[in-house]
Amino acid sequence: METGPVASAGLDGLTEVAGRIRGAIESVVEGKGAAVRLALTVLLAEGHLLIEDVPGVGKTMLAKALARSVDCSVRRVQFTPDLLPSDITGVSAYNQELREFEFKPGPVFANIVVGDEINRASPKTQSALLECMEEHQVTVDGVTYALESPFMVIATQNPVEMEGTYPLPEAQRDRFTARVSMGYPDPAAELEMLDVHGQRSPLDKLAPVATAADVRRLVEVVRMQHVAPAVRQYAIDLVTATREHPDLRLGASPRATLHLVRAARAYAALDGRDYVLPDDLQDLAVPVLAHRLLPTAEAQVERRRPEQVVADLVARLSVPAPRK
Amino acid sequence: MRPQMTIMAVLATLAGTAGLYPLFTSRSWFWYGLGAVLCVAAGSAAVRYFRLPAVVGVAGGLGALLLYLTVLFTPGQALLGVVPTPGSLRALGAVANAGWQGVNQYAAPVPPVKGILMLTAAGVGLVAVLVDLLAVWLRRAAPAGLPLLAMYSVPAAVRDDSVSWLAFGVGALGYLMLLTSDAREQVGGWGRAVEPARRTEDVPYAGETADAAPRVRSAALAASGRRIGAGAVAVALVVPLVVPGLRPGGWFGLGDGDGNGGSRTVTTPDPLVSLKRELTRQDDSVVLTYRTREEDPDYLRLYALDRFDGDRWTYNALESTGRDRLTSGRLPAPPGLADGVPTRDVRTVVDVRPEVRRMTFLPVPYAPTRVSVKGEWRVHPPSLMVYSLRDSAGGRSYTVDSRRALPTARDLAGGGSSPPDVVAHYTSYPRSVPPAVRRLADQVTRGATSAYAQAVALQRWFTETGGFVYDLSAPSPQHGSDLVAFLLNSKRGYCEQFAASMALMARILGIPARVAMGYTAGTRTTGDRWTVRSRDAHAWPELYFPGTGWVRFEPTPAGATGQGTAVTPPYSTQAQAQAPETPETRGGEDDPAAEEEAEASPSAAPAQRDDLPGDTSAPETREDGAPYGWMLAGALVVLLLAAPMVARALLRRRRWAAVDPSSSGSGGPRSRRTAAEPVPADAAHAAWREMRADALDHGLAWPSSDTPRAAARRLTESLHLDEASAQALGRIAMAEERARYARAAVRVPPSVLRGDVHTVRAAFSQNVTRRARWRARLLPPTTVTATTSAARAYGDRAADAAARAREAITARVTALRDRD
Repeated sequence: METGPVASAGLDGLTEVAGRIRGAIESVVEGKGAAVRLALTVLLAEGHLLIEDVPGVGKTMLAKALARSVDCSVRRVQFTPDLLPSDITGVSAYNQELREFEFKPGPVFANIVVGDEINRASPKTQSALLECMEEHQVTVDGVTYALESPFMVIATQNPVEMEGTYPLPEAQRDRFTARVSMGYPDPAAELEMLDVHGQRSPLDKLAPVATAADVRRLVEVVRMQHVAPAVRQYAIDLVTATREHPDLRLGASPRATLHLVRAARAYAALDGRDYVLPDDLQDLAVPVLAHRLLPTAEAQVERRRPEQVVADLVARLSVPAPRK
Repeated sequence: MRPQMTIMAVLATLAGTAGLYPLFTSRSWFWYGLGAVLCVAAGSAAVRYFRLPAVVGVAGGLGALLLYLTVLFTPGQALLGVVPTPGSLRALGAVANAGWQGVNQYAAPVPPVKGILMLTAAGVGLVAVLVDLLAVWLRRAAPAGLPLLAMYSVPAAVRDDSVSWLAFGVGALGYLMLLTSDAREQVGGWGRAVEPARRTEDVPYAGETADAAPRVRSAALAASGRRIGAGAVAVALVVPLVVPGLRPGGWFGLGDGDGNGGSRTVTTPDPLVSLKRELTRQDDSVVLTYRTREEDPDYLRLYALDRFDGDRWTYNALESTGRDRLTSGRLPAPPGLADGVPTRDVRTVVDVRPEVRRMTFLPVPYAPTRVSVKGEWRVHPPSLMVYSLRDSAGGRSYTVDSRRALPTARDLAGGGSSPPDVVAHYTSYPRSVPPAVRRLADQVTRGATSAYAQAVALQRWFTETGGFVYDLSAPSPQHGSDLVAFLLNSKRGYCEQFAASMALMARILGIPARVAMGYTAGTRTTGDRWTVRSRDAHAWPELYFPGTGWVRFEPTPAGATGQGTAVTPPYSTQAQAQAPETPETRGGEDDPAAEEEAEASPSAAPAQRDDLPGDTSAPETREDGAPYGWMLAGALVVLLLAAPMVARALLRRRRWAAVDPSSSGSGGPRSRRTAAEPVPADAAHAAWREMRADALDHGLAWPSSDTPRAAARRLTESLHLDEASAQALGRIAMAEERARYARAAVRVPPSVLRGDVHTVRAAFSQNVTRRARWRARLLPPTTVTATTSAARAYGDRAADAAARAREAITARVTALRDRD
């Protein structure tokens, strides 16, 4: 274990630790800098990440690499159509020796939970994640159990058009801070991947480069980030615009606003800044907002995807400038 | 065919001719112009009817105009009175030539003689051809205003006084009508093509009526268009009234009215307008008659112009007080006339014709000692001008006793020195008088030892040796340069030039001089009766000699080839000067009736006068108004053109002055005070705004969704900025970003930011097209946008206020009606 001490609670330490984690992940997932950065952003913003793409582009690899590079408890759940809610949250079992019910914690009781192919489970099972994701707690048989900190769900899913998948309920989608698409690697990265993966999986070599305590400290630093009133106003403008957009049946929720600003804080911190820029919001608007939006039937027919709508809004919306 | 546009073009052209009215003495010209416009429109419309190209249309218009002119002016030489033949064309040319000569000969307003009418009809017709070509054939209604403007500018250029606001309003509204009609036709063309109402005429749908068809909702647009048009005309009318110097003249009522008053009105020479109009009057009406026993009566003087302003002679504003009133009829003693000089007392009884208008100065022979006249009259002691603030001499009969000085050459050459105040007042001339004129004065009078000899030499030069020609067709002198051209080059002119030049040269030589204006003695009718006509109007120099006072000289050629009734005074000829031993010994015994008390009344002596603002000060401002008006107009145009540039520079300065007191030494104490403690963020904001304005000025795109660093990145990439400029741009963006969004702005010295902005501006300038570069310099879009948006805001506010007022009135009216 080579986790160096966090130099300070300040920004320098953050960028240094974040750089280490990023380096570790990128040694496994080649050519996906943006996705890796977004994953780190979500980690530092105490959010959950949804990785969506076609099979075989490295979704699970990214999730596992992130989980592995931080020295903390990691659980992995393979979602299948017959998975039950109790398989995730845990179950109260009768202990015959103690003659009482005993809570057997499920896989959510970990710092990082990797939910693979989350949309293959039935909506009932997916709903089991709602409470733990938002409130960082699990309630089983009337008893509430708190989850560890940091707590992050990294879920992967195939596009809903794929066979044997259920669409995620809106409520759950709204709980994911960001959705990222991996996309196919460019030819050079793919060639390199062939070389590296030819012998053995690089994931095996990956050793943690930061501790859970490090991450908690980093999260504290991110919370202290400065968000100027103008930037907050810009965030409000952005989500308001999604609610009023004629192509959207459902706009972004207030939780989306929170997530957006929180993610922007982390994004700015990763950039080494102690203040948030509208640029951060612009970069994050599509990953943070698009998966929560429901297009109207007309927009669907005309293939206007929410990603395009958000990108369009970002390009149109005026950046707040100081008054003369 | 475009019948509507054809009619509109005709109306606009006719409205434009309204501005020509001050050029003519009667209204008949209008009908000639009307006929020409109608003929052109008909010819052009006929060509359109046969769907021939525009070139043929112009030819059709011109052909119709030619036919019209032939029928009107040379039917005798034409085939069947209509078809032009070479002979008729030659005759037409002769008529035009005569007209041209008439135009040069007469000052406006000109009488409606045949040649001038023909020129007018041809000119108006040509304008009509151009307007028709632009507005109807080429569908360019806006440039059709140029020929209209050209026509309108003729009276403005010819007349000193301006055209009345009514004529301008009529012309402008005609042009607006043309524009409106053109726009309506274009919009209408679009609208009708898709209007369902059109279809229902052909194939009515079941249950559908023409009324149900949707109509283009253009009422609001049209209303705002009308608002803009009416507003523009109103502004154009109001601004000249507000701006001093652009006010139309009219103190003497010459701007309008007297041109149309008919032949009954007789005008008098006005010192402030050209004498030429009087000298070239066709009717040559009688101004006054008088009786005197003199065999060679002296000139009748109206004005003495004592000030040369560099362009023209004029008189200082008269400061009139109650003490100047002619209560006893006695006038002050003639200035400078000593006892030793022989004089003769003369009595003149003058009858001014009742048709004479606005003659507020009395024509009197110099030097008047007593004037018996009804009404309230005053005297100006230094010059002995008799004037009234209230009454006019028209129709009056009065008696003047005057003391006519009959100096000998010896008297005039006798030496002595002039009083210092006279020398100071009457020998000054502006520095703008070119050295060539001064050299000329010295050269002409070389060898002359005394002031008198110099004066005689000058007069001789003008009348005999200088090669001057009396020519009434010379343009009236409006500026100093005209006089210089007269003296050095053209040597053609009439009394105005001669008198003004000799008085000026006398002043240059140190002889006190002024220009007198009035009438020559006229012609003797019977016995002691003399008649003065308007062509006897005259100007002459008066020179001051110690002991004698003011003495008339006559540099204008007299007789058949000159001013017909001008007379050279005997003392001013060379022979007299060389033979001082032949004194004029005629005493004052001729007229016993004139032996009355002629001494000056002490109470009327010149003294400190109180200012009497009003009429007396008006002539001066008016005189200054002519050249200064043009200068002011020019300055206004330059100012308007430079306004965006200056506004941009001022804004730039203000921005920096607010944040960087050190750099704006000339920024003044105000900026120093406000920038006592500049906030770093303000400097960054100022730099950013300035840079943004520069980018916009250079026509670079600036999406409002750009953050500072995004904008910097985009500009760097799109313009391929070099390293230094890119870094400067980055520094500005960084400072602005921190100023906007960070906890504390980074402290960059304003001078550094200013330097960076300068670098970036230079880089912008290098990387855009030449057109964009010059536009950024001369017509920065940011100021233009700011101006238009401000104007739009005011306009909106005004429209709101108008709407509110209308609502209030409507409510009020409704309430009243309800009460009834």
